[in-house]
Amino acid sequence: MKSMNDYIVGYSIILLVYRNIVAAIDKMFLIWQIAFPVVYIFVAGYAYSALIGDQGITIGSLTVTYVSFLTAGMIGFNVMNGSTIAGAIIWNDKRNGMFQQILVMPFNKIQYVIANLITLILIGLGSAAVIMVIGFPTIFYDINVTLWSIPYTIYALVAGSVFFGSFTIILSTRMKSSEGYNVISNGLFLFFAFVSSAFYPAEGLPQPLSAAFYLNPLTYIVDLTRAGIFAQVSTFTNIEVVILGLLSSTVFLIATRSMIKMEA
Amino acid sequence: MVKNRTGNQAHSSIRDRNGPCISVTNLKKLYGKAKEFTLDGISFDVKYGTVFGFLGPNGAGKTTTLKILTTLLSPTSGSVYIFGKDIIRKQSEIKRKIGVVSQNPSFEANLTVERALDLYGLLWGLHDSRVRKNKVNEILSTFDLESIRNSKNDELSIGQRRRVQLAREFMHGEDMDLLFLDEPTVGLDPSARRMLLDYIKKHVMSGLTVLFTTHVMEEAEYLCDEIAIIDNGRIIAFDTPTGLKQKYGGANKIIEITFKEVLSQSFVDLLKKIIIGSEYSDGDQKRRGIITNTTSRIDLNETNPNAITITVNNAEEVISEILQLVSKKGMRIESISINPPSLEDVFLSIVNDENNLRDNERK
Repeated sequence: MKSMNDYIVGYSIILLVYRNIVAAIDKMFLIWQIAFPVVYIFVAGYAYSALIGDQGITIGSLTVTYVSFLTAGMIGFNVMNGSTIAGAIIWNDKRNGMFQQILVMPFNKIQYVIANLITLILIGLGSAAVIMVIGFPTIFYDINVTLWSIPYTIYALVAGSVFFGSFTIILSTRMKSSEGYNVISNGLFLFFAFVSSAFYPAEGLPQPLSAAFYLNPLTYIVDLTRAGIFAQVSTFTNIEVVILGLLSSTVFLIATRSMIKMEA
Repeated sequence: MVKNRTGNQAHSSIRDRNGPCISVTNLKKLYGKAKEFTLDGISFDVKYGTVFGFLGPNGAGKTTTLKILTTLLSPTSGSVYIFGKDIIRKQSEIKRKIGVVSQNPSFEANLTVERALDLYGLLWGLHDSRVRKNKVNEILSTFDLESIRNSKNDELSIGQRRRVQLAREFMHGEDMDLLFLDEPTVGLDPSARRMLLDYIKKHVMSGLTVLFTTHVMEEAEYLCDEIAIIDNGRIIAFDTPTGLKQKYGGANKIIEITFKEVLSQSFVDLLKKIIIGSEYSDGDQKRRGIITNTTSRIDLNETNPNAITITVNNAEEVISEILQLVSKKGMRIESISINPPSLEDVFLSIVNDENNLRDNERK
């Protein structure tokens, strides 16, 4: 006889997400996921502030301190930082034989990909909330969240998780070894991190560098995160919403296709 | 819940036994860059409530077949029906009722044994935590895992991990109607192996159907109701264990003789002449050997140069001839035994014949 749970759409995905959280995620990773941005906020934030002096950073019509700017940026950045978990889950499952085992149970590859991305979104939102709480003293004077602006931040975190999670899933399906996966993802993420507006504003940069910033999805993620936190939404912000949505959907479809083609 | 004749809860397949549990027809799988047939048109049926053994040398196509039957691989052509349902179209329904213990280890490295079993029960749909807890305790006790219930999976030995992997599949509950076991006893000690085989037998009595691959012929003989032998992607023999022995072992007997001396090649050649009925020299006399059947053969023991195994259909006559020869040569026998062929003898004979046939075709 079928139970009520069998009728809940996506119940298999809920089970896989639960399994990811209790079994597949290394607890040390979660600590690192929080510690890394927090160290940036409190060390780099105040160190660069001393270098910049009292000069603030302009976001829309608002001028904020560099630490506030960086804290909001780190909330968006943590999505990319955490996305390696999606690829790591696949690698660990393949290494421990659980990938094949899950697929002979009543789950399919699409459910497995979606469950990994939802896990990543939950981790992204959860760690963003923790970073916000820890970094709150640094952003206290500049924060300007409104009911209509905060969806931009949440959208950025969700779409960003989908983009970078799908990206690491594609990498994990293409790479032949976990070492190769780590080298490539670390190298690419270094590029994504520093050629973006996570650490410094894109305005005022030399034209080629500024253009490179806007080829990087992380720039859209942190711009939208800041737009929500400081309530600075413009037409360009809405264009960024569309671009990030298109990029995330495309990469998600490629990741799903790669996963379906991957042999168990 | 249906009860079987022993009063145990029965697997649900016992309620609906129309047609075979598994029906495979002309299954083919092209694999690899060379696009060679890993499976070359195999067909077989597995009846409900039986253990079906799938035997074959390494690379014969056993695991590929299992991967197709468990939905991990798509066939190139042919049809597979499980519980009367098409494996391609009704994957999800079929997967709810099957259990799979694959050849490769699989484990949740970060979880304790108890937690891993509990999680597996949840994934299989045991939503009530009390029911799950009872089931976990039952499985821990049955599979002798209580002493390691709080150990993490990545701290266990290979054998312990294997036991957990096997035990985990029985968290499936009574919904499991078909169990695929791909060399499940690799890494298990003899008592754990016997315990597992007996546990499977008990579930088969309650209606569970099992498809079992192994390299250990004693296990196949102990457990299987029917056996298919696969080689080079084709089923080359199929019957009950007794039927296979009768069909391929025939009236043959296995004579094992251990001498006190190392055997010379000339002595072995002489024995060969005797059992194939050739003419041979016995001192000044010319004699003719005993005519045995075409499956007769002599095998030297690879680990003991003093021992020899002779397969013939007229063992008493051959032994008498050998004893005369041994006496004349002044050799001494340490031990001698005559046995019916085992399943392993039959398996080796079938696979060797198939290889010889293929070699001849190539020439």
